[in-house]
Amino acid sequence: MKAILDGYHRLLTWLMVASVAILIFPVTLQIISRYTELIPSYIWTEELSRFLFIWLVMLGAMIGVREGTHFEVDVWPTLGRRPNAILKIIANIFVLIFALVFLIWGIQFLRFGWDQTSELADLPMGFIFFAWPLSGLTWILFLIESFIDNYRILTTGRLS
Amino acid sequence: MMTAVALTPGMAAIVLFGVFFLLLVMRVPVAFALGLACLPVLLFEPRLSPMALFNETFKAYNSFILLSVPLFLLTANLMSVGGITDRLVRLSRAMVGNFPGALAQINVVLSVFFAGISGSSTADAASQAKIFIEAQVKEGYGLSFSIAITAVSAVLAVIIPPSILMIVWGGVISTSIGAMYLAGIIPGLLIAVAQMATVHVYAKIYNYPVYPRATLKEFLYSAWISIPALFTPFIIVGGILLGWFTATESAAVAVIYAAILSIFFYREMDMKHLYTALSETGKLSAVALFCVGTASAFGWMLAYYQIPKALLENVTSWGMGITGVGFFIAFVFLVVGCFLDAIPAIIIVGTILQPLAASVNMHPIHFAIIGIVSLAFGLVTPPYGLCLLISCAVAKVPMKFALKDTMIMLVPMLVMLALIIVFPDIPLLLPRLFAPELLK
Repeated sequence: MKAILDGYHRLLTWLMVASVAILIFPVTLQIISRYTELIPSYIWTEELSRFLFIWLVMLGAMIGVREGTHFEVDVWPTLGRRPNAILKIIANIFVLIFALVFLIWGIQFLRFGWDQTSELADLPMGFIFFAWPLSGLTWILFLIESFIDNYRILTTGRLS
Repeated sequence: MMTAVALTPGMAAIVLFGVFFLLLVMRVPVAFALGLACLPVLLFEPRLSPMALFNETFKAYNSFILLSVPLFLLTANLMSVGGITDRLVRLSRAMVGNFPGALAQINVVLSVFFAGISGSSTADAASQAKIFIEAQVKEGYGLSFSIAITAVSAVLAVIIPPSILMIVWGGVISTSIGAMYLAGIIPGLLIAVAQMATVHVYAKIYNYPVYPRATLKEFLYSAWISIPALFTPFIIVGGILLGWFTATESAAVAVIYAAILSIFFYREMDMKHLYTALSETGKLSAVALFCVGTASAFGWMLAYYQIPKALLENVTSWGMGITGVGFFIAFVFLVVGCFLDAIPAIIIVGTILQPLAASVNMHPIHFAIIGIVSLAFGLVTPPYGLCLLISCAVAKVPMKFALKDTMIMLVPMLVMLALIIVFPDIPLLLPRLFAPELLK
């Protein structure tokens, strides 16, 4: 399971890096097209950059759960391994609830999106809304892995 | 009665804030805590459904303004991998290397240069923590001092133009971004001077090391090789004031300029570094921005129950003048900044306070600078100060470790904030001189 999740994690990271890299082009095109006749001023550049941006945020948010980079507030004194694992499990249960909401209502959101097209480029909005249920599903996968890890710390005192 | 059971604003407020803080204590990430806090109310209120969570997060991310966040982060990362930062360090050393506490002074001066190129404080903290903390400790500076000065100097990045916070502020509260950029320069430099004075006092007390004074030749040479990099703020601020591009587009211009310098001028970037820069940019901006989405949903819920209006009703009757309101606004932003990142705070609180500022005829630019400086300070205040969190994470110590020194350094900075509140001319001087038409 670890290997599969590692691969999935790499794929998500790669897609996120690609969206950051591509993001620069439509914005640049938008500036240049204002000053030169050489390239027509594409009306969809602004929309394309926004859509890439949405995917960038959602992909990064998915990865963030596995890498533990979502910022948290720490009001506790320095905890031992076991109390720390217990707290992690509790916190993760709440994140799991949020992930389930994103998956369950996200599917409804996605259905609603297939009937709409974007204002400028006529893209089905489903391509965008798909990011929400996918985040929910991805979080659930990553959280299950984390639950197993923390359970191991709790029972054996160390990781695997 | 069979009519819909709606929550009163008071009950809704208790549930929203109560659940949010409870989840924070249980170490649920802030972004998720904000979203989860909306959930009970969304499920309970018959006229609402969790779909609101989707609409609000989508609306938040579907915004051209926020694009400036990854773009300015990318600028910062390109600067580091492309050799721009190295040149600016050399110039800073030639400028202040002979001051007591040399390396810490360089840390502050570099933050000023950096602030003029990138508009992201978190990026500043992340890149400078890697450069300075270890180096300072090696030279005999205290670790806690080194972390604290790196974190507090990083806040300059959002005060000195360009600034992500000003772009967001301009988008949310419709204030001229060009005017805010000009208005941020003097306050930013004043705060930098306050920080350098603090370093000076520390250096005298703890006998921190000094470098030999740089020769004039070294100074001129280091300035010469930094000129292309130092030119960036003029391109960005000038380009916006002259109407060449919008504020968000200026972030893309900054990326392209940094890339051109790194690839063609300083020639230090390869594909591997580029990939790292892109991936670090994506990761950091995504977690910060994801939080903006759930914060927008949270803010929308507050507005739905008209909670802000209820909270502010009392305040307007206190009969404060401009200065009183200024201090009140700064206080609110400082408190909110302890628990929220700056962008969500602008979205939730900035819009609430705007009518209050308008009611005493505070100048919108003055209001903006007070808000942005206070929120920038929030980046180093516990429990949720991103710049401090990042600096501590790089040094691999818990945040508590550097707290005392950070709080000491905040005192002179707060004095500067008080000056900005009492004397509106400090921020308003430059916009009046260079772009009076934007102040109308």
